[in-house]
Amino acid sequence: MASNKKYWQSVEELKESSIVETLSKDEFVEEIPTEAFLGDKETLENSATSRRDFLKYVGFTTAAASLAACEGPVRKSIPYVIQPDNITVGEADWYATTMADGFDFANVLVKTREGRPIQIMPNKDANGTTNARIQASVLSLYDEKLRATDPSKEDTIISWKQADKAILAKLNTLKEANKPVVLLTGTLASPSTEKIIADFITVYPNVKHVIYDAVSESGTLDAFETMYGKRTLPNYHFDKAEVIVSIGADFLGDWQGGFEKSYVDGRNPKSGKMSYHVQLESNMSLTGANADKRVIVKPSDQVYALINLYNKITGANLPSKKTPADKEIAKVSKALQKAGSKGVVVTGINDKNAQLVAFAINKALQSDVMDVQNTLNIRQGNDNDIAQLVADVKSGKVSGVISYNVNPVYSLSNSKDFESGLKKLALSVAMSVVYDDTAKASTYTLPMPHYLESWGDVKITASSYGLMQPTINPLFNTRQFQDALLQWSGNKITYSDYLKEFATSTILTDKSWNKALHDGFSTQEVVSEVSENEVNISQVVANLNRATKPSTYEMNLYVSGQLGDGKQANNPWLQELPDAITKASWDNYLTISMADAKELEFSNPVKDNGAIDGNYANVTINGVTIKNIPVMVQPGQAKGSVGLALGYGRTFGLKKEMQVGVNAYAFYKNGKNLQYGVTIEKADGWHKFACTQVQKTIAGRHDILRVATLNEYLHIDPRDHKNGWNTPFMVSYDHKEVEGSKIDLWEEHNREIGHHFNLSIDLTSCTGCGSCIIACHAENNVPVVGKQEVRVGRDMHWLRIDRYYSSEVATRKEADQLREEGKLSRAEMYKALETEAENPEVTFQPMMCQHCNHAPCETVCPVAATSHGRQGQNQMAYNRCVGTRYCANNCPYRVRRFNWFQYSNNNEFDFNMNDDYGKMVLNPDVVVRSRGVMEKCSMCIQMTQATILKAKKENREVKANEFQTACSAACTTGAMVFGDINNKEDKIVALKEDKRAFYVLDAIGTKPNVVYQVKVVNKNEA
Amino acid sequence: MSHYEAPIREPLVLGEKSYHDITEDIARPIEGKANRNWYIAFYIALAAMLWGFGAIFYTVGTGIGVWGLSKNIGWAWDITNFVWWVGIGHAGTLISAVLLLFRQKWRMAINRSAEAMTIFAVFQAGLFPIIHMGRPWNGYWVLPIPNQFGSLWVNFNSPLLWDVFAISTYLSVSLVFWWTGLLPDFAMIRDRAVKPFQKKIYALLSFGWSGRAKDWQRFEEVSLVLAGLATPLVLSVHTIVSMDFATSINPGWHSTIFPPYFVAGAIFSGFAMVQTLLGIMRKVTNLEDYITRLHIEYMNIVIILTGGIVAVAYGTEFFIAWYTGSPYENYTYLSVGAATGPYGWAFWSLIFFNILTPQILWFKKIRRSFVWSFVISIMINIGMWFERFDIIAIVLSKGHLPSTWWRFEPTFVDVAIFIGTIGFFFVLFLLYARTFPVIAQAEVKTIMKSSGQHYKQLRAEGKHGINKGFITSKQKVVKTNISSDGSQLEKINILFKTIGVFNKETDIADDLKLISGVGPKLEGVLNSIGIYSFVQVSKMTITEYNLLDNITGTFPGRAERDDWSGQAKNLLNG
Repeated sequence: MASNKKYWQSVEELKESSIVETLSKDEFVEEIPTEAFLGDKETLENSATSRRDFLKYVGFTTAAASLAACEGPVRKSIPYVIQPDNITVGEADWYATTMADGFDFANVLVKTREGRPIQIMPNKDANGTTNARIQASVLSLYDEKLRATDPSKEDTIISWKQADKAILAKLNTLKEANKPVVLLTGTLASPSTEKIIADFITVYPNVKHVIYDAVSESGTLDAFETMYGKRTLPNYHFDKAEVIVSIGADFLGDWQGGFEKSYVDGRNPKSGKMSYHVQLESNMSLTGANADKRVIVKPSDQVYALINLYNKITGANLPSKKTPADKEIAKVSKALQKAGSKGVVVTGINDKNAQLVAFAINKALQSDVMDVQNTLNIRQGNDNDIAQLVADVKSGKVSGVISYNVNPVYSLSNSKDFESGLKKLALSVAMSVVYDDTAKASTYTLPMPHYLESWGDVKITASSYGLMQPTINPLFNTRQFQDALLQWSGNKITYSDYLKEFATSTILTDKSWNKALHDGFSTQEVVSEVSENEVNISQVVANLNRATKPSTYEMNLYVSGQLGDGKQANNPWLQELPDAITKASWDNYLTISMADAKELEFSNPVKDNGAIDGNYANVTINGVTIKNIPVMVQPGQAKGSVGLALGYGRTFGLKKEMQVGVNAYAFYKNGKNLQYGVTIEKADGWHKFACTQVQKTIAGRHDILRVATLNEYLHIDPRDHKNGWNTPFMVSYDHKEVEGSKIDLWEEHNREIGHHFNLSIDLTSCTGCGSCIIACHAENNVPVVGKQEVRVGRDMHWLRIDRYYSSEVATRKEADQLREEGKLSRAEMYKALETEAENPEVTFQPMMCQHCNHAPCETVCPVAATSHGRQGQNQMAYNRCVGTRYCANNCPYRVRRFNWFQYSNNNEFDFNMNDDYGKMVLNPDVVVRSRGVMEKCSMCIQMTQATILKAKKENREVKANEFQTACSAACTTGAMVFGDINNKEDKIVALKEDKRAFYVLDAIGTKPNVVYQVKVVNKNEA
Repeated sequence: MSHYEAPIREPLVLGEKSYHDITEDIARPIEGKANRNWYIAFYIALAAMLWGFGAIFYTVGTGIGVWGLSKNIGWAWDITNFVWWVGIGHAGTLISAVLLLFRQKWRMAINRSAEAMTIFAVFQAGLFPIIHMGRPWNGYWVLPIPNQFGSLWVNFNSPLLWDVFAISTYLSVSLVFWWTGLLPDFAMIRDRAVKPFQKKIYALLSFGWSGRAKDWQRFEEVSLVLAGLATPLVLSVHTIVSMDFATSINPGWHSTIFPPYFVAGAIFSGFAMVQTLLGIMRKVTNLEDYITRLHIEYMNIVIILTGGIVAVAYGTEFFIAWYTGSPYENYTYLSVGAATGPYGWAFWSLIFFNILTPQILWFKKIRRSFVWSFVISIMINIGMWFERFDIIAIVLSKGHLPSTWWRFEPTFVDVAIFIGTIGFFFVLFLLYARTFPVIAQAEVKTIMKSSGQHYKQLRAEGKHGINKGFITSKQKVVKTNISSDGSQLEKINILFKTIGVFNKETDIADDLKLISGVGPKLEGVLNSIGIYSFVQVSKMTITEYNLLDNITGTFPGRAERDDWSGQAKNLLNG
């Protein structure tokens, strides 16, 4: 700042006049009349300021100063120095973009506040669906700890220039020597990127592009290629299905195609038609939990069951074995044949031959459900290529590996071979969003922007073209993969320009670029590229039989709904999200059947603090042993089978809390999700699980959660006293039987003025996916508390999904009967109702604050910190709360969450609220709660108020169905519908009056504003 | 006082006390030095208290998360301890107020300490509602004081707010009542005090009590008024505490029986605590003559009664849980679900300690036994703690939705705070025992003439003309194991004809223990008959010896063998 300029305040100063000099000497311009006060007694006495006054002033100022000092610390919010043109402070901007991280693909909308993306929502116009991982991906953007921030060479930071120079030099040397270099990427599904790679390969002909999916669908891709001539995944329209038979396919869980929407669309009881879904599987999957009929079949038997089904459908007699599911196969094959083209068979066995059999069955059925035209591009990896690559890297056949967006050092089963080979290569470059194991093992790490900072295009299905646009300036010194390749191939154009040119010239030929970018997608005409090839099924079955080696214990590797393939393992929201089925967070574990657990002496005791413990097991498959895998006894697990989730056990670069679970990829040889020849051995010690729910059954309390069969729904009066499936709670009033919910001790408020919010939750449509939980997390700044706190029952989720298994004694009536017959004592009856069945039916129930019109929490708060709003919401004034927790004790739904500790700015809780980057995801509309206060679902009051204000500003009434909450907006299947019951056009009005509508625990008289719809299951009785 | 008490009743003050003896006995712990035991007890209590305070500071500084609570169990040890201490605080006022109105004189020996216990227990109880808050520094928000928070006001619907009023009222009335009773006793200490500082302090504490008739008149009036005020409080406080639960909607809490049941339970546990404390205190401060078997027995009778009420309430709760057939009620703290569930051990502890153990008090021998009473009182204290724990933890552990079923395990902080309050309580109590007149001596003196052992005996002897006409041969005039039929009395009279009657007012009693062969026990026997002086013993011959053996039935032939008469003569001459 050195400057020779001279500044002056006045002309006098410039002239250096004497006045200035005098002035600068004295502190005060005018002389202080001290003489008038001091020394001269007379003037002092005559002074207007007497000693008395003086003391008064001193007293006052001291008091005032000390009072002012008592004020709490003031935090200043700093306004923009230069206001950006397109940002209105306090108003959210939404951008349409597309997520594609190689595992999850989705058309999404991104909410940004003051330039920061803070929430992901499904782009419903593009039929976009989100799961928990997609919802949570916004937090991974701010993962300063794990993200690669600068280019580096062996841990020393270098500049992009240096990196380019060094890498290009290497590339050229290798090119001249014609040494092979592999460009290893995940599934890109990006036409423009594929073009850039192709161009790159023309410049460097020694480069080979290999695609690697950590979680492989190679079998399906191979099968589809064999049968239909194109290496892609078939699509399924489950909404068209009448009968769905799934053999080990978790299409709602780990198929990233967003099938839940079409699945649920095909199961609308109102239409009178519901698909009949039979699931044959070994693990209890999300899909199995939603099935109408679930048959437990161990992995090898799944293969035989598939062949048996093929035999039944086609009348063939291909070699197979008997399975325990044959009776069900016979039944369901009849149903399938009856359904004909409305039937579909899917299988999750990642084996070419198994998939071919399933395709053949669908072909035989002429299934309309399976779509071979509008196929899915979200998996393109090839297991054989990868096996070859690892061998080549190990042997040094390959001289260079440029990896992009994959972490094979973590996710390969033989990662040690790959890692040691990689370290010896002439050139190893990891282009990665995060500084992971592979980046660590490579010579060069080039930081890539997160998808929310990137341009791009994604072709998820053949018919859709999604665009990706940055929603924030890059946080770190990153450069896109495509830009790097363009530069290295000597192209001067930036990728954003390239993309626009590419898209407008090849795909959006007759469409507006701006509109497509605004919408985030553009629909395409599907050009049929498939050819039907004849496949020799008997040969296929013979191969299949050969590959299947039944053993005492078999393993089904799966991906959990939380971590997926493990890309976002450092995301605390996902780690803390409890598994939909086991309700365990922060872990993966060996799921084992109750029968096997008994045999091997595994158990899950509940400790005195409410938490669950589990034994450890050492598991060996094909000579690979993983020690100390915690064991979770899983009802509905097939005997002789175990399950283990991939994606856990990552350690490098992760925060300590996130280094949980075991790395199951070690077992994932050649992408086979079914593994035979498993040996299990009990190990010492107890594992501490962190489950959010301990009691597994509903204990005979059937008014909490109502289920009806389709038959009952269609033919029986729900309110019928004897057989009704949705009978209201009745009381005697004035000697008449009346509905209990209609009785009131006092006169009701008039709720017909203004808005009155209700939320409807359809238990039939809820698949339990959990994206609403993460949406709520993001919207409401819900803190993450860590494994230990979850373990002792202190998760902060405002919205949870209760999962109930049915017990062997299905109903209370049944239990009472057994007791009366003397078969069960009263104590035994409780036990029977509390113990889950070996193969239970599963129901999910999203549970959040019910916003009771007669709220038990409101009356008991001594300081009136929780009270009822005029719009139906039960409101929580955090500032007023003193934290007696009486409200939580008196809440029959137990949805109130207490801040046991300070969860923000606390090193004990080192999650996103404890660092400056992580805090960027916080929603500025919602306060971060301090310790000692109660919090709970607010029905997203900040969102409803924003909607009201927006309508007011636009001088209009709020439109029908305009009100949303985070959960209802995130719910892809439409299970959650939010609205204003005083707007007769809102969907909620009809739902409230629906014959399926019921209130949880309405006998207590809480009069909730959350209404549930009875779950309807299709028992295929008709 | 012109109070008449039947001579057949056991005296309330033993040991031939004169008015002055009482003064001496009561003033001794204050004026004397504390013994070793006191210091040991005090330091243990102080250590526990400091540990508890440390735990409280840790809680306030870090967050309630250091306790074992969870999303489903928002209260556990905190409110258990709160209700337990409040309950303990019930006996004091009942003894001082209700028994005053019912003119139960036996209350006088124990009311001071019972009230002190009440006040100290309420201190402990009052701690918990404050520290169990998430933000205790805002605890004053529960008071309806004008504030700067706009129109914010307390919620009068909340039972927690009622608690605030109930407990603070109870504490203040108890405190005033206690202090009023202390005034003449403080004045007594003041008047005896030698050191000027002590004199000054007790002068301040006694509010200028002068002992004039007017003082006494006002004292009586105020006592009566305060007793009238405090009596409903005995019922109201625990009624309101019970409403913390009863007005909620949790099955097992939502119960109309709670108010009377809680009050009975509180008195039950309060008396048990009085038993525990006095059991220790009468030994430590040598008050065996004031807190007698009779007091213990009376308190045990109250315990049986209130324990019975509690047992009936348990039965009712259990019955209701079964009778409703509601799946929710089946998991309340007194239900089959609870008995067989994970908290079965707590359920059965409750049944054992609170219902079964007090039943052995039906045996007179046991209920008059100091040791048994002490042991049972401790068991009841434990049982009553479990009762509150069961109500809170079992009910919250099995909420409406099975998905919210959870369990509670205390952390070391929970334990430390509980132990700390016990330590705090004993610190206060031990300090009290060294600085306060632990027995309402002014009041006790009022019953000396009607229920002091000495006076009762005088009456039995027909001396002093007090109620002369009422002594009949059937009345029991001598204590100990001497049967009280007419022939015995006659024998005594014959005996006295020879050896002469000892007049307590005029004669000086000799130390009979100086006679070889007479120990403290035998001396007591002799004294109980009326033999106090060597003169009397010296007049004895073989006839008297036989007569004496006949009366006492102990040590036959001993007096003759040891030649008591001869010894006594020597002692007289020597």
